[in-house]
Amino acid sequence: MPLDYPVHERTLTNGLRVVVSPDPSVPNVTVNIWVGVGSRHEASGRTGFAHLFEHLMFQGSRNVRSGEHFEALMAEGGRLNATTWFDRTNYFETVPKGALELALWLEADRHGHLLDAVNQANLDNQRDVVKEEKRQRYDNQPYGNALIDVYAAVFPDGHPYHHSTIGSMEDLDAASVDDVHAFFRAHYAPDNTVLTLCGDVTPDDGFALVERYFGSIEQNAQTRRPPVEPLGPLTEPVRVERREDVPNDRLHIAFRLPVDETEEFSAASLALDALGGLASSRLVRRLVRREQTALGVHATSWGFVDGVSLGFLVLDVAGESDTDAVEAALLEELERFAVEGPTEAEMDAAMAQAERGWLSMLASQEERADALSHYALLHGDPGLVNTHLDRLRAVTPEQVRAAAARWLRPESRAVVAYRADVETEEVA
Amino acid sequence: MSTLATPRPEVAPPGPWAFPLPHESVTDNGIRLLSYAVPGQYVISLRLVVPLSITDEPRDREGVASMTARLLDEGTATHSSEEFAELMERTGMVLGASVTDGALSVDVDVPQRFLPAALDLLRQVVSEPAFPPAEVHRILRSRLAEIEQERASAPHRAAREVTASLWAPTERASRPTAGTTESVSAITRDDVVDFHRTHVGPRGATLVVAGDLDGIDVAGVVSSGLGRWTNPDHLPATPPRAPSPAGGETRVVLVDRPGSVQSELSVAAPGPDRSVASGWAPYPVLSFIIGGSPSARVDAVLREDKGYTYGIRAAFRPRARGGSFVTAGSVRADATVDALRLLVGILDTARDGFSDEEIRSGVDYVVQTAPGRYATADAVADEASALAIEGLPLDFQTTTLAAMRDLDADRLVTAYGAVATGAWVIVVVGDAATLRQGIEGLGLGPVTVVPN
Repeated sequence: MPLDYPVHERTLTNGLRVVVSPDPSVPNVTVNIWVGVGSRHEASGRTGFAHLFEHLMFQGSRNVRSGEHFEALMAEGGRLNATTWFDRTNYFETVPKGALELALWLEADRHGHLLDAVNQANLDNQRDVVKEEKRQRYDNQPYGNALIDVYAAVFPDGHPYHHSTIGSMEDLDAASVDDVHAFFRAHYAPDNTVLTLCGDVTPDDGFALVERYFGSIEQNAQTRRPPVEPLGPLTEPVRVERREDVPNDRLHIAFRLPVDETEEFSAASLALDALGGLASSRLVRRLVRREQTALGVHATSWGFVDGVSLGFLVLDVAGESDTDAVEAALLEELERFAVEGPTEAEMDAAMAQAERGWLSMLASQEERADALSHYALLHGDPGLVNTHLDRLRAVTPEQVRAAAARWLRPESRAVVAYRADVETEEVA
Repeated sequence: MSTLATPRPEVAPPGPWAFPLPHESVTDNGIRLLSYAVPGQYVISLRLVVPLSITDEPRDREGVASMTARLLDEGTATHSSEEFAELMERTGMVLGASVTDGALSVDVDVPQRFLPAALDLLRQVVSEPAFPPAEVHRILRSRLAEIEQERASAPHRAAREVTASLWAPTERASRPTAGTTESVSAITRDDVVDFHRTHVGPRGATLVVAGDLDGIDVAGVVSSGLGRWTNPDHLPATPPRAPSPAGGETRVVLVDRPGSVQSELSVAAPGPDRSVASGWAPYPVLSFIIGGSPSARVDAVLREDKGYTYGIRAAFRPRARGGSFVTAGSVRADATVDALRLLVGILDTARDGFSDEEIRSGVDYVVQTAPGRYATADAVADEASALAIEGLPLDFQTTTLAAMRDLDADRLVTAYGAVATGAWVIVVVGDAATLRQGIEGLGLGPVTVVPN
């Protein structure tokens, strides 16, 4: 049965898509903006730029001084931030309803008129901040660069998903103020943006307020590139071996998956859950509980829009176990799953957990707004949030098996292995 | 390009708000039941709180309380560990059990239609865990691996050194809640069975149920789920008390990680808990002003001016009794000494006072974000269980937020000065060979280098 969160939608004459989902249970409104630009749009030599640009959106615009966006909204009880991902950039705040207009005014100023305020000093400062973010989250973390290795191993050189959103230090160094201007003009435009209001606001008031603050932003319609050609599964295994100072060996076994919001993607992601995403998954039963050769197994599926998605299993190998034998056992289970498909219990568990996860996510006004923007921008219809679970429940065990047989084959895997660099003491 | 058609709008003040109050009752076996109706929240959050003190663990088996918690759902009288995991997952529930300084907490989130089944599984978890030997072995070994993972992570490594330096070495609080390599290696299945038998029971327990409870007889389903739970061997927990600080003047512990590209900085002092006699109201506001946002005092300098860091946060961290004030974050390796100098300077200078503008922003931020911070069932349930653990009244949030409206600079200076006396425990996780001399040159206090 579909959920019944209200969804109202309108497009302004300048092309901005506006979604309003009233929810008077809390006297707040979430403003959630998705811009159709992410790291997949970055040019060669400018990796990490979409994210660096996102930081600059907090450094002032025509009528707003640097840092004022954060300060002004937090001082009124706003909680806010922004994130950059492969497929999009996202700006959001949740404010008491009396501060909704201020939030819209601040957002309109930077989404319409950022370039009036961009300067070399701001760029240099935020470049330094982003470099520290990269060091903190990737370089100074055990296994911190493993996913960057995964992207590069799974997707070919030059593919939109070959590089990470954080980018490289060299490319961050190369970014110039001219790049900021060109990037803003190319991607930040009403027709490439979705704005969602979720909370204590009526549709009529919401549409009128967005028109009031965003209506004067000039249309900047451009032909945006369609998704790149679809990719099939890898045709032969890819391997990256790292020897580092990590506490235990860790294997990342990654696969290309079908494009997001297709039946086959849902089936493949349920297959990954059944294999390794649940406490009752077969890899957990065998490797963690019975053989105790792995400390833990985790599964992740990320739906993307540019012709292919990404799925991966992460295995922490128990200290004294043979990492290659653990990998061989995993391959055995992949082979078996492709023939037998999921058990009834695995399907039940994966569905029940997906249901709780989805309902918990929508329980929060912030995350509901985010889901509405997501579906509006990348899949054309925000109302899909109400039918997501029904589409998932329609997937059959045979579809799950078939998706695994096509996408999760041993020969289609990319392995990124981090092995503990055991220091052997020299005895004189 | 067009100009903005619309002038900057004024902000309309928010209406009054109060933290929800529960329906309160007691089950036949003595569990205090708090039901919070949160309409529209279709995933129900359960929080079972059993008073427990880790000071009651045997000294050479520290971590046994946490290991007991982690083993509760790894097999029961009627189901193997695998069967139980499958039962929980097919019931759409997720369960987590953990131990803090005042309680064992078992947290369950479950879609509304599975609530009765989830309560029955929760009863099995707390009343009849089987502690199968193979699972005990696995969970203990996982903890040992986790200790190594924590050692490899700079923020975790720093946190371990902060607690070790902040509290007197005789205090349980100075050692990891989940145990050390030595103490966990000594734990046997008998230790776990015994700890569960004597420390986990319905006596003094509280169950929080939060979510859309429309049409649900909460007392009825709780009674049929948990009503049969008894434990005649359950001993009363030692009441929590604030740990004694290690005392002394400012000192620096430098945890040596050669070649580190960043240094993790922590500056800490013992702080209040939420029952502090002078009132908790100033502390969330102080956290915000000093280190709660990119424009707070710390990041205004270290991030937005200097570009040394992605972000450093300062926060008062209450325990059931006692607490700490910790400012922590990572900075570029070659900026470590200057960053530490600036950071300690900002924390010390804050004793001189706060501007009216800072106070207004901080109070408005904390008070006006409350409706959103407590909008979901899990957030309401988390706060309600924290109140139960800390022994605070159910209207604590509402009265504290009201008291914040009366804060002024004098109150904040007094509250801050009680904690920030100028004696800091400073931990730096970084490359000792390149940092030691510079840090000593700051003259903050003695510098001790320890291995990672």
